[in-house]
Amino acid sequence: MPLLEVRNVSFAFGGVKALDDVSLSVNEGEIVSIIGPNGAGKTTLFNVISGLLRPPHGDVLLDGQTLKGRAPHRIARMGIGRTNQIVRPFGRLSVVDNVAVGALIHERTLRGARVAAREIVEFVGLGALADRNAGTLTLTQRKRLEVARALALKPRLLLLDEVMAGLTPSEMDTMAEFILALPKRGIAAIAGIEHVMRLVMRISHRIVVLDYGQKIAEGTPAEIRSDPRVIEAYLGAPLEVL
Amino acid sequence: MKGAGWIVAAIALVALTLLPLHMNGYWLNLLYQTVLFVGLAYGFNIISGYAGYFSFGQIAFFGIGAYTTGALALGTHWDWTICALIGGVLCGVLALPIGAIMLRLRGPFFAIGMLGLAQTARVLASSSSALGGGSGMYLPPGSSLLPVYYWTLVVAGGAFAVTWWIDHSAFGLRLQAIREDEAIAATLGVATTRAKVTAFIISAIIPGLLGGGYAWFLTYIEPSSAFSARVDLQSIVMAILGGIGTLWGPLVGAVLMTQVSEALWANFPQAYLMIFGGLLVVLLIVLPRGIVPAVTARWQKRNTPSAGGGMAMGGVKPEPELP
Repeated sequence: MPLLEVRNVSFAFGGVKALDDVSLSVNEGEIVSIIGPNGAGKTTLFNVISGLLRPPHGDVLLDGQTLKGRAPHRIARMGIGRTNQIVRPFGRLSVVDNVAVGALIHERTLRGARVAAREIVEFVGLGALADRNAGTLTLTQRKRLEVARALALKPRLLLLDEVMAGLTPSEMDTMAEFILALPKRGIAAIAGIEHVMRLVMRISHRIVVLDYGQKIAEGTPAEIRSDPRVIEAYLGAPLEVL
Repeated sequence: MKGAGWIVAAIALVALTLLPLHMNGYWLNLLYQTVLFVGLAYGFNIISGYAGYFSFGQIAFFGIGAYTTGALALGTHWDWTICALIGGVLCGVLALPIGAIMLRLRGPFFAIGMLGLAQTARVLASSSSALGGGSGMYLPPGSSLLPVYYWTLVVAGGAFAVTWWIDHSAFGLRLQAIREDEAIAATLGVATTRAKVTAFIISAIIPGLLGGGYAWFLTYIEPSSAFSARVDLQSIVMAILGGIGTLWGPLVGAVLMTQVSEALWANFPQAYLMIFGGLLVVLLIVLPRGIVPAVTARWQKRNTPSAGGGMAMGGVKPEPELP
């Protein structure tokens, strides 16, 4: 049984179909990338999985259990953590407290949650800024904070929405290393990535291609690289060039 | 520093308990008003300052507390403190369904919704003949203000203690996460509805208990004083002036504002409202987030060793190593 299964999910904003009968699955310890241009439906899919949007059609299952009708906080407690494309730190809380919020699902006391949070903050390289207000962080630091907050949930599945966006090439490499190391820690991931095919090919076990809310292809990096539909709809040029 | 704060608090508490025994009516009255507003400001602070749901309607619970106390006392001849306690509990019970509904509204919609709720409560009170309608209810005149004062002091002290606990607890962190970004808080495992409604209930019980004392203070309850928009607004302004979402803000704001307003009134009886309003405007322009946050920011700045002589350099760059 796959860890996560998305079954025939559709979602529309007014007349715009953001997701059109999308299905996909993620196995334990697997890294699946979702690629597609801006507006392809990646964020909408993440919002559906994390319970912020309720799709009128289709279902999402974790370990075979439906997530339908479950509030976002329950889904988070079941082991799905996420980062946000538009970084949204709790600006007036310290970096540690930003992370401690998620740690509270495993820790009874605030003190315990802060200890756990501090460790994670160190781990993502924000140790020197742990007691700063999160509102003072730079974009790169905020991206790290997003990751740290999600990790505090000890998730089994991490939804990474555009984690590469806004990073410098060397920072992207660091992030790629981080994602590649996730399976060793027992964490599967779905990474939504618009650009940087080089990294997508490197980090993904499988790739799902979205275009205007529809899944147009799915496969290993090698298969996607040579899929004519993908090249036509999205990549637009032979991949050797990119 | 922290220890010193507690010693000061303990001394203040002893003084607040013993001094009124030797006070004349005027000073005791002023002290009562001060403590009352401290309590009201703390009540507002929990739902609005910590959870971020700005409520213009907490006075509804103040009025419900006052009316419950009055009606019970007249009907049963129980001691008024028991009636006031029941009034407070009733407010907590009512706050559960009201909160569950109203807290679906956000931002200005919640604020306006709560304002409407307070008005509805006032209209209901003035149209109920059992509650005396528009002309209100007379309570047996009390012989001394002291019991009312002590009641209010205990409630305000309790409100402070609860706020201290919130400020140091997991519950408080959850509330602040909701204030900062509710959707994100939910995706981080915070049961947002439960936390919000709990905060709302606490923020309803406090004015509910205070209202019972107020009824006994006035010995006459009528809709526009029990659901007084002026009292509501004053307590809100006090909390904001002191700094909402902080432990000390409501205390600082309420004490400062009641004393300054009294001093101005005594010295400039004609112009006092104008001067007072002007002062408030200036203070809020200079310190938009309130006095306490401004002071703590100052203090922190002075006590953090500034690397290379300043901030505003985008932060200390940490090593870019995600392991």
